[in-house]
Amino acid sequence: MAHAKAAQKLARQLFAMSIVDGAVSADRVAGVLEYVETRQPANPVMVLKAYRRLVAAEIAKSIALVEHAGAINDAMLAAIAASMTRKYGRSVTATARKSPALLAGLRVQVGDDIYESSVAGQLAALAASV
Amino acid sequence: MLSHLIILAQAVPSAADAAQNADAGGVTKIFRDFGISWPFLTAQIVNFCVVAVILWRFAFRPVLATLDERKKKIADGLRYTEEMKAKLEAVQQESAASAKRAQADATRIIDEARKAAKEFLEKQTQEAAAKAGDMLAKAEQVIELEKRKMLAEARSEIARLVVETTQRVLAKELSEAERSRYNESAARELTNI
Repeated sequence: MAHAKAAQKLARQLFAMSIVDGAVSADRVAGVLEYVETRQPANPVMVLKAYRRLVAAEIAKSIALVEHAGAINDAMLAAIAASMTRKYGRSVTATARKSPALLAGLRVQVGDDIYESSVAGQLAALAASV
Repeated sequence: MLSHLIILAQAVPSAADAAQNADAGGVTKIFRDFGISWPFLTAQIVNFCVVAVILWRFAFRPVLATLDERKKKIADGLRYTEEMKAKLEAVQQESAASAKRAQADATRIIDEARKAAKEFLEKQTQEAAAKAGDMLAKAEQVIELEKRKMLAEARSEIARLVVETTQRVLAKELSEAERSRYNESAARELTNI
């Protein structure tokens, strides 16, 4: 238990050093990996796993995953990206992913936040309310 | 003793004769007529007194004492009898009173036991009725809950079927143009968040 706490603490410290201007820096991440490789801190695997989790979460905050059923164009993606950038105060890029389960409409996920306007979502809400 | 008395009586007449001659009246005449002789009378009197004394001392007094003693014993016996009679009567009254009290106590105890049994029966009956009522109410509640649960399940199942059917129908029936229009509408909605 004490080892896990120490590994978590180190991972958080390394993650804090990896952020530049509110975003994860690839150079800093490379430096952290080199440090772990050379210095071999206690429980390196545990540290790297925790570090990867933190970096993935931070990267997810900067990516808006746009699930869609039917056709979607770049203008829509750009508008969604701009809207999320305004909302979160950091640069957000939009990526599209086809999801026929939505039937029609869009679902945007930024980090742990989900924004949905789809037929499947409305049908699910209808079923839940009934 | 009697001879002495006679001699004495014979000696007395001399003096008596002198007196007699002096009072030769009615008394002497009477005595002479009735043949009363002073010596003999005196002797008789003395004898009588002696006999009376002797009889009194040795006969009458013991007999009287015996009679008194017997009288006393009889009186004591009678008194004892009376006392025993009174005690017997008192004991009989006491016994009758005790029997009466015991009877009254027994009656009271029986009445109390009957009353307690009746109250217990009534209480048990009320409790049984209350329990039956509770069980009935609980059963009705359970039935009501089951009914609501069934209705909720039916509603959910119907909603699920409706949604699933709608999804299937829309998946087949929605055209690309309609989907595209919906996507544009959704994009406008999401950009205004």
